[in-house]
Amino acid sequence: MLNGLLVEEAMRRQVIHLPHDATLRNCINLLIKFKANALLVVDHARPIGIVSKTDIVGAFYGGLPIEESKLMDIMNGPLLTCFPDDELSVALDLMRENGVHQLFVRGAELNTVVGMLSYLDVVALLYRYCRACPKGAARWSERPDLSDRTQLLVVRDAMKSPAISCRQGDSLAKVIEELTAHRLGALLVEEVQGSAAGVVSKTDIVVAYNHGSDLEVEARSIMKAPVASCDERSLLSDAIRHMFLKDVQRLFVYAEAPSRIVGVLSLSDAAQIRSGSCRACSASRIIAAS
Amino acid sequence: MFARDVMSTRFHTISPEQSIAEAVKMFHIASIEEQKRIFGLMVIDEKEHLVGMLSMYDILLFVQPKHVHVWSEIEDLEAHEMFAELLNRVKSIRVSDIMTTNVVTVKPETHVMVIADLMIRRHIRRLPVVEGENVVGVVYISDVFYHLLDKFL
Repeated sequence: MLNGLLVEEAMRRQVIHLPHDATLRNCINLLIKFKANALLVVDHARPIGIVSKTDIVGAFYGGLPIEESKLMDIMNGPLLTCFPDDELSVALDLMRENGVHQLFVRGAELNTVVGMLSYLDVVALLYRYCRACPKGAARWSERPDLSDRTQLLVVRDAMKSPAISCRQGDSLAKVIEELTAHRLGALLVEEVQGSAAGVVSKTDIVVAYNHGSDLEVEARSIMKAPVASCDERSLLSDAIRHMFLKDVQRLFVYAEAPSRIVGVLSLSDAAQIRSGSCRACSASRIIAAS
Repeated sequence: MFARDVMSTRFHTISPEQSIAEAVKMFHIASIEEQKRIFGLMVIDEKEHLVGMLSMYDILLFVQPKHVHVWSEIEDLEAHEMFAELLNRVKSIRVSDIMTTNVVTVKPETHVMVIADLMIRRHIRRLPVVEGENVVGVVYISDVFYHLLDKFL
C-alpha cells in the first residue's frame, strides 16, 4: 500500500527543538506540552541529536538531577534522517533497521530540518487512505457490494502477545527495567487476582520524574485507569480509529471478556504492517481512492 | 509614561503545583473579577517569585488531540464523547508542566514606548512588572493602547 507514497505526505512539519545546553526540565515540559515522543537538539541552529522519552526515562533511572543535567548529557547523535521526497517504505526500512521510532526530515539546505516522521504519522496517513477507500470498513454500509469483510484485518492479526505486565506494588525502578528489557512504551498493571487495574506508560514516568518522584514509588500511584482496550476480533481499522481519538499509542487486547487481556496493539505495530487495514490493499486502490 | 503609570496592580496569579482544572477555574474567576477577558495568568511560587506564565494557548495546545487532522475527517458524533474522555489525561498534569518559563518582564520604570515596542516585536499581550524579585503589576496591551491613543477617545 505504501507504493508511491512519499515521506512528505506523512511527515509532521512542526519540529520542536531545544539547544544542547537546555536542561532536562525544559525538555520534559516541551515533550508534555506538545505530547511529543522526541525532540530535536540543536547547537546554534545546527541539528546535532535527538532526545526521546526513552532517554528521559533512562535519565530518571540513572538518577540525573533534572535542573542541572543538560540535553547534551543524554542525547543521541548523529541524527538519522531522510528527505521529503524519499519513498515512505525506504524511510520505514531505515527506522526498522535502526530500531528507532522517528526520523528527522532534512531540507535541501545544509543543516535544515523541515519535519519529523514517526510511526504514528505513517499510521495516520494510512488510516486516512483507508477511510477514503470504497472497499474499507468505513464505507461498508454505503457500498456492501465492493467490500469483502473477510479481507478486513482484525486486531488479532497485528497484535503482540502476550501483554507484559507488572504488579501495582512494583517500584518505578522495576517498571522501567521491564519497559527497557522488552522495548515497550507501556506496561499493564495487574490487580492481585490477575485482571488489569491500569497502565503505566513512559509518558506517566516522565511526568512523575518532572514532579520529583523517586524510583521507589509504586506503579499504582502513577498508573492510568481505566485501561484502553479492545476485543481481539475487532476490525483493525476500528482499533486504529480508537487510538487516534483517544490519543493513546496502544490498546490492550482482550479475548472473550474484557478482564482477559491477551495482547497489546500499538500504533507502531500497526505501522509495521504497512498495508492499511485490509488484505485487498494495493497501490492501485490508493489511486482509485484519491 | 512609565510601566507604573499604566500597569494594573490588581491581578490574579496561580501556583506551579496547581492542576490544569484549577487553572481553568482561575481563568474564569479572574475574567469575572477583573471585568476583562483574561488570556494569561502569572505563575508565582511560594516565595512570591515569578516562575512562568500560563496562557489559554498553553492549555489548548495540551488538550488538543495529537492527530487533529484525523479528527477533522471523522464526522461521527462519538467524537464529542471521546474528547471528554481525552480530558482525563490532564488529571496528572500541573501548571508547571506546561507553563512558559522564559517570560519577558519589565520594570516599573520602563517607558510605555519601550513596552509597546516589546509587545509588537514579540507578539506579547501582557507583561509582568517586576521589582527586584517580586511582581508588582501587569501591563495589558489594552492599557498601553488606550494610554497612547487617548487623544482619539
